[in-house]
Amino acid sequence: MRIILDGKNLEVDGEKTILEICQGQNIKIPTLCYHKNLFPEARCRLCLVDLDGKLVTACSTKAKENSKIVTSSEKVLMARRRNMELMNPGVDIGKLSDDFEAREIYEQVGLDNERFKPIKNYLPELGAALVRDNNKCVNCGRCVQVCEKIQAISAVDFASRAHNEHVTPYFEKHLSDIACIKCGQCLINCPVGAISERSHLKEVVEALNNPKKHVVAQTAPSIRAALGELFGMEAGTLVTGKMVTALRGCGFDKVFDVDLGADMTIMEESAELLKRIEKGGPFPMITTCCPSWILMMEHFYPELIPNMSTCKSPHEMLGMLIKTYYAEKANINPKDIVVVSIMPCVAKKFESTRPELNTEVDYVLTTRELGRLIKQRKIDFVKLEDEDFDPTLGIASGAGDIFGNAGGVMEAALRTSYEIATGKKLKKVEFDNLRNFKGIKTGSIKLNNNVIKYACASGGANIRELLKNKDKYQFLEMMACPGGCIGGGGQPIYFDDKVLELRSKALYEQDSKREFRRSHENPIVKEIYKKYLGKPLSKKAEKLLHTRYRERDGF
Amino acid sequence: MQILRETKLEGLRLARKVGRQKVLEILLKKKLGGRGGANFPVAKKWETALGVKADERYVICNADEGEPGTFKDKFILKNNFETMIEGLLIAAYVLRAKRCFIYLRGEYDYLREELEEKIKEVLEKSKMKVSIEIVRGAGAYICGEETAIIQSIMGNRGSSMYKPPHPTISGLWGKPTVLNNVETLTCVPQALVYEDWNPDYRLFSISGDVNHPGVYEWELGVKMSTILDVVKPREKIKAMSFGCFGGIMPVKKSSSVSQETICKGNCQHGAFSIIFIGERHNIVDICLSIAKFYTYESCGKCTPCREGTIRLVNLLKKIKSKKVNEGDIKLLKEFAEHIQETSLCGLGQSCGNHILTSLKYFKKDYMRYIK
Repeated sequence: MRIILDGKNLEVDGEKTILEICQGQNIKIPTLCYHKNLFPEARCRLCLVDLDGKLVTACSTKAKENSKIVTSSEKVLMARRRNMELMNPGVDIGKLSDDFEAREIYEQVGLDNERFKPIKNYLPELGAALVRDNNKCVNCGRCVQVCEKIQAISAVDFASRAHNEHVTPYFEKHLSDIACIKCGQCLINCPVGAISERSHLKEVVEALNNPKKHVVAQTAPSIRAALGELFGMEAGTLVTGKMVTALRGCGFDKVFDVDLGADMTIMEESAELLKRIEKGGPFPMITTCCPSWILMMEHFYPELIPNMSTCKSPHEMLGMLIKTYYAEKANINPKDIVVVSIMPCVAKKFESTRPELNTEVDYVLTTRELGRLIKQRKIDFVKLEDEDFDPTLGIASGAGDIFGNAGGVMEAALRTSYEIATGKKLKKVEFDNLRNFKGIKTGSIKLNNNVIKYACASGGANIRELLKNKDKYQFLEMMACPGGCIGGGGQPIYFDDKVLELRSKALYEQDSKREFRRSHENPIVKEIYKKYLGKPLSKKAEKLLHTRYRERDGF
Repeated sequence: MQILRETKLEGLRLARKVGRQKVLEILLKKKLGGRGGANFPVAKKWETALGVKADERYVICNADEGEPGTFKDKFILKNNFETMIEGLLIAAYVLRAKRCFIYLRGEYDYLREELEEKIKEVLEKSKMKVSIEIVRGAGAYICGEETAIIQSIMGNRGSSMYKPPHPTISGLWGKPTVLNNVETLTCVPQALVYEDWNPDYRLFSISGDVNHPGVYEWELGVKMSTILDVVKPREKIKAMSFGCFGGIMPVKKSSSVSQETICKGNCQHGAFSIIFIGERHNIVDICLSIAKFYTYESCGKCTPCREGTIRLVNLLKKIKSKKVNEGDIKLLKEFAEHIQETSLCGLGQSCGNHILTSLKYFKKDYMRYIK
């Protein structure tokens, strides 16, 4: 199909929208409500272009044969600017956080905000994991769509009409009162930062400044593959060493590795799986590393409680070990220890408030909050030297590293379960069928005389899909965020799925370089069991590393 | 009145006798257009939906007349509902639809029991295996817009969707769906049955400063003097407003009411609801109350309409407070135009009409407030 785009004759694919055509031609069109993975609702109307003399939204309109499209006439630019003016009166561009898309777009469109005064007056909503401020909202609807279509939770929707239209859970309730799984995918997709994490930064800084406190940081697997992005480094750059140096520079007394916690989880979980195989069920056994998945199960699938593994999530296990095993070993009063988890996740903030966990994790920072802390301390992150984790609880296996990827927990668990059950060594520790970006991944493995069928799902909608066939499997891994923790709600905001692929690749790379690839080979894991816990599922391990669940309301 | 002529299922019998294609031909030849205002040929609409390959098609009767000053559909529902059902059945027959819906305006709910009884009666007599369900609107003006009706029937929030795809291609539950309003569907059997059926007769809803408001039937091109003679103005008439969205224009006795004469005045006749405005009113007051209507009824989906309508109200209020200069009137015009140009659906695209037309014809009323 032929069109004239900004005076240039072009041969284009008629199935593409004007926006897609322009992106192919490197013509920048500002968008706010548009997201590649979502249905173009054409709400924000910033992507206006002139199609044969009429203003249309580029994101939702397809070009017609021989049509003339103008993307930057005065008429187009003025119309975009007016919509921006209507959308966000009183916004000070200088005060906007760099994290979000909006800033760049505001600068691109130009914001003239003297003519109208702001009219929104909402009470911000403060939850254990998420904070919502509708005053910042521009009603783009991306959170609503993500929650409904990708996560299949539908926690929020629009209510009221005209200028009173706003995003809200039903009956103006709070997210903490309804069946919201706190995955934070709404946050990742919010272009203006109207949804943000409940920050623990202030409390953490207070602890760091208190000389009486022994402040310990523990970092999740997927942080190291994403933290660099906040400092302008390429997506997928592994910054493990710099991260440890930076944390010490911020004043943390010890820096431990949650990858080790992941190894512990695998030890307990594998033992549980093998015990269930011996006992004959209940199957499928389901992983419990993801706090959002646990919430989803408790809200929508409480009948699965017996199927859930009873393992705490890796950082909760390690947090517990820090205040027991480590405290004993280092001879520090556990009351003086402050455990700060650095997580790619906002749901972990909620998790640490669960009474069932008897949690020993005091605060949870997201990757973004850590980035903010490092910037506040004026540390030049990119130029930092590499340092190692503190060895007491800082050596991990490659199995722990890949926890951050969807399918990684399964892979790690299979490595250990297979070798412990059969006594044989795996020839190849990589499970290629689990290393891709499909929403649902399946496979099977033979453990002695039993064929174990397993499957992994990431993203709420995929989880619901997989659960329809749950009886076919013996072992399931569930991750609420698409792509697993690397795409978590606490990670740096990303606009392109490519970023996820790069982060994921980085974790697999770290795994491949490790001396130990299997959790049960980890010398620290061996030591902890030998000196402290006995063996997996021992009475002490059950007490410290396992938890239980409860049924929650489906609404 | 032509619209009150009954067809007693004769139209349906005829349609089944001559077959689908022939029905479309007759309707095209008789020039039956949609009565919502666009006058789009009914036969064309049906043909498009029929041309889409699908295992199911739906017919929706739009009985959600929410336009201020419009009440002609209620008149038909009360006085010739059987003929309308027949029109619906003919549409169902032509489109091979098994389910029809009547999207009834929430405020007309008091009519529902009676309507349901009549539906049952006509269905029994027609012996057609079609279901007709009345869906009650919840009172949103936007749900008179076709994509919003579809959303509402599916149980979603009533907000308009981007077109294409048009409902005739992919509407209710993704199936081809035909939407016609009450007046149009009533005309279907009448056009089929009566040789002398005149496509130019329109129902007028007349209200405002007149002694005899009500529903009238006139031919397109009727002289304004004829209308005024019948409805008897209470005072000297200064202007007329076509519903809310059509715009405000001066009344000239010698002028005639037709597409050409009105559209040249930049107004839209829509469903011919004329509100006569007497001399004692200031047009700015009228505009303010219309603008308030829009800030209440905008669905809130797209930016210009959601955020713009309230700004128009605030500007009009400011103008009335006399604390303005000509810059504010310019701003009013700028944004009224902007909202029209960049909004997603018909509501936004017409919600500045009253301001733009009144600024054109009644600038004096605005200038009274300027320092």
